[in-house]
Amino acid sequence: MSDVRVRRAVASVAGRYSAVLALMLFLLLPAIWLVLSSLRPNREIFTSMPSWSFLGLTLDNYEWALSERGMGMVQLLATTLFVCATTAVLTAVFAMLAGYGLARYQGVGARAAVVILLLAQMIQGPMILIPWYSVTAQLGLLNTRTVLILIYQTITLPAAVWLMSSFFRRIPQELEEAAAIDGAGRLRTLAQVVLPIAMPGVAAVTMYAFILAWNDYQYALTLTSSRTTKTVQVGIAQVMESLGATNWGGIMASGVLAIVPVVIVFALVQKTLISGLTAGAVKG
Amino acid sequence: MTEAVSAAIGTGGRGAGRVRGRTGAWMRGQGFWLALMSPVLLFLIVTQFWPLVDTSRISVFDYQPTRSPDSTFVGVQNYVDLFLNDRRFWIITRNSFLWMLGSTAVQVVVGTAGALVLNMNLRLRGLWRGLMMVPWVTPVVVVAIIWRWMFDGGENGLVNYYLGQAGLLSDPLVWLSSDVWVWPVVLLASTWKGTPFVILLVLAGLQSLPGELIESARVDGAGAFKRFRYVVLPHLRPTLAVTTLIALVTVWFKFELIWALTTGGPAFATTILPIYVFTQAFRDFNFGMAGAVATIAMLTLLTVVGVLGLLTRLRKEGSS
Repeated sequence: MSDVRVRRAVASVAGRYSAVLALMLFLLLPAIWLVLSSLRPNREIFTSMPSWSFLGLTLDNYEWALSERGMGMVQLLATTLFVCATTAVLTAVFAMLAGYGLARYQGVGARAAVVILLLAQMIQGPMILIPWYSVTAQLGLLNTRTVLILIYQTITLPAAVWLMSSFFRRIPQELEEAAAIDGAGRLRTLAQVVLPIAMPGVAAVTMYAFILAWNDYQYALTLTSSRTTKTVQVGIAQVMESLGATNWGGIMASGVLAIVPVVIVFALVQKTLISGLTAGAVKG
Repeated sequence: MTEAVSAAIGTGGRGAGRVRGRTGAWMRGQGFWLALMSPVLLFLIVTQFWPLVDTSRISVFDYQPTRSPDSTFVGVQNYVDLFLNDRRFWIITRNSFLWMLGSTAVQVVVGTAGALVLNMNLRLRGLWRGLMMVPWVTPVVVVAIIWRWMFDGGENGLVNYYLGQAGLLSDPLVWLSSDVWVWPVVLLASTWKGTPFVILLVLAGLQSLPGELIESARVDGAGAFKRFRYVVLPHLRPTLAVTTLIALVTVWFKFELIWALTTGGPAFATTILPIYVFTQAFRDFNFGMAGAVATIAMLTLLTVVGVLGLLTRLRKEGSS
């Protein structure tokens, strides 16, 4: 009798973990394959059958990826880091103010503000690219980092304001009322009472904006191409087109280098970010 | 934008007493919150809503900036050309629906399954939930590298090699150059990239499901499938509706994944409307035509979202 029960329990545990294993294999194996291939000598990559062995690995491809004569990842990463970090900081400041406003505003047009934010998330990419291109060309902003930082705000701000307001809504208003009774102005209350509590949320939104900006390809592809303004993705894609399949090892090493910064950023704020993202979606 | 902020901060910060009259009272009341929001709202209107309107405006002009800086009004000519004279247009429209509905459906189904898995009682659950987000943070060009490499057309390409070993393929398949086989690769890559976010949202929906509900269903003798069908699924329905909507919009405008993988090819086999906007505008520099395609793409999205909304509403009324 108990034997059956034990066997059933074992089967259920085995079932559970094999399901997790299958899911993780699907989501992680391609990335692991990228890392492994990037460490293989380039001449082996095409001539031999796929290998999962850890033997005979080399860093040659990374040398090529980083060197100026190869992919030139140092310049590409520097440009992208600068653009994405600036984007993230600007987004954080403005989304913090707007998110706080959205969380507390109850006057005329409160719904309209929500609708504008939601619609803005649907008006993306090809729907706005042509005017952006024409206008920035007239202003002489094509091929500058400024235009990327500006257009990235359209990706990051709508979601960031939404997230910020969901973080602010969790802060009890009694705290602000108490501060007001003590004679603090609203901006002082925001700076000295609300912000310290909301800080983990603000940090998470900043990093989220960074990840979103880092993930853009289409805007950078359209608006930048010169050596000092192109982002990691544009740079790698250009080399991939021109070299074709001759240096896959080096291209894959560049790909790994392009993921590392976002993985680090994501790991830093994982918990707060996930709770924020999910809270907003389930309510909405 | 910065002026608006400093104005808001200036009036808001001085607070009671100095600012007089109605405006002052309003600033001390609801106006303050509006002032905090206004820089962002104005920015979004100028940088997203106006460009949207402008895009549909140029769709009724003949505007090809590399040929002539002037644009001439042509009415619905661009649309007529697309519908009647452009053979590619209908293939691209078909591709668009295949992509939008196919990719979204696969992502939502796989994502829901994944969320059910990660909602189980597991050791190191936090670790799995963190690791699963790796595809989500991976930039699309890198996603393209990964999947192009796995589906490499040579006999030592990962997928070709294993399919060959399993005896399913006698000759290596050149996946990305085939009209037909390019689609599974593109859909697989988009599922890989998009599923983690779906899992994230559905997991949140699952966590708000009271454990007692499932327990009492179990006590009543409902099996795993019945528990899912009659307890979990009805509870998840609102979450799934929102998730589907988000996936749909993302899949539509993040055409860049297809672009990085296939640049819409071979020929136009994987071109969808948003890609066609891009090629018309920035390869052929036919801005008027691109505007027309963009307008159609926007209307297509709105129609699909509208139909979806209507279906969920009917569903809700039907069940209550």
